Amino acid sequence: MSEIIAAIDETGANTLLADAIQTVGTLSKSGSGNLGPFGASYTVHGSFTSGAVDLIPPDTIRIDHLHFAWHADLSFSIDLNDFLPHFCLPQVCIDIPCVGEVCTPEICIDWPTIPIPTVSFGDFVEATADFGLDVALTSGNWKVQIVVKNVSQLQFGPGTAAILGIIAAAITPLLLAVPFIGPFLAIAVDAIIAAIGIAGLTGFLGPIISPFISGLKVPVYNQPKHFELLPAAGANDPAVFIELDTVQARIEGSDEDELVLDIDISA
Amino acid sequence: MFDRLDSRILRFSDCYGQRFMKPGTYCYHALPATGYAVDIKRPFVINVGERKSTNVMNQHTVILRFDKQSFQPDKTELTIESGDLVIWNCPDRNAPGYIVQGDKEFFASVRLWNECGFSHAFGMPGVYEWKDAYGSGICGVINVADPPRDSKNCVDLAAWRESLSKAVLVTIDKNEAQPEKVEIVTGQTVYFAITVSKGISITDRRAFYAQT
Repeated sequence: MSEIIAAIDETGANTLLADAIQTVGTLSKSGSGNLGPFGASYTVHGSFTSGAVDLIPPDTIRIDHLHFAWHADLSFSIDLNDFLPHFCLPQVCIDIPCVGEVCTPEICIDWPTIPIPTVSFGDFVEATADFGLDVALTSGNWKVQIVVKNVSQLQFGPGTAAILGIIAAAITPLLLAVPFIGPFLAIAVDAIIAAIGIAGLTGFLGPIISPFISGLKVPVYNQPKHFELLPAAGANDPAVFIELDTVQARIEGSDEDELVLDIDISA
Repeated sequence: MFDRLDSRILRFSDCYGQRFMKPGTYCYHALPATGYAVDIKRPFVINVGERKSTNVMNQHTVILRFDKQSFQPDKTELTIESGDLVIWNCPDRNAPGYIVQGDKEFFASVRLWNECGFSHAFGMPGVYEWKDAYGSGICGVINVADPPRDSKNCVDLAAWRESLSKAVLVTIDKNEAQPEKVEIVTGQTVYFAITVSKGISITDRRAFYAQT
């Protein structure tokens, strides 16, 4: 039998993991991906807040409604020729008194490619994640952490759909600076937003945000193997140390499910 | 950002026109703006012969192509009759602003003298207060409005396209532009016909301030 047994019930586990998840801090990632038909560069920042903890014997900690608040900065470019009809200014002729008719040539417009410098937006995703217990002795420290085993499909928050509106609002003034686009502006914005769509947006964000969740490791316990039991109290009263020989973690099912640490010690 | 109206720097939605009133050989080059001071070659030719046609003038159009950092006309040599008009346009949006520079003082887009013209298709709505950047005092205003929208914020594109084939004429004779004020919609063209001048430009005040 272990010399030290520490246990917390689900209520305690909720408090413990809520605090532990806070220590994970802000995660960030930069890269590029496909936002619908557009290649986009991104930087995403985000942080977790705990959901409801369910301890499932023998070794699973389920966090329901694991909440990840994220913020993204995107930049991409739009080739307007992909969205707007081929357009030509017609030949125009004008009669100049005493001279005759002068005609300008037809001038066909090649629509430009518009860089969209930065679009910023944020929302949250939620998932249900099953964590396993990971115990390791690393660099003289016992570490217990919970590590993701399975994650349900990400549920994007209600603000995600509104992001398309944010993108539309960001591109509109940039498009307005394109000569001759005025009459086509509504067509262009609608076509661009339709090309991205909710599916394009979640298809872009999902692969970026998923690794944050699937890679989540939440620290639960971290103490030195050579454990200071009592601090020094003077020149003739040195610190007292014990050795934490083994540390084991498990979920025990009884009247109430508990997260249990079993620790064997020696002097 | 605004749609640059400046006859000194021609762009894809501009045309420069020049009548040649006397027989002779006129050489010219099409160059990036201000390039006339750098490149003195005049490799392209307008041969002007005696007038045989019975009408006042015929029009000839030269389309410029920008390739390998230089402008090339579709007709490097053109033969016309005295009194005829030649119009130049480079429809390439990506080409830099350019000039047509001839070997005679009157034959230069950068400064519009006699029997010449400049057209601009207005790509953006706004109030374009233009003046002569060379200081003659001649000026005018072009009010450009976007075409009307319906309750669904849509433009009647068919009606708008039809309106584009109607240009507006501004005549400039000595120091007077007629009419001084013009109202058009986005995409429409204004043709400035210069009969007699001391060498002017049609320059949006915003472009003028941006350069000076």
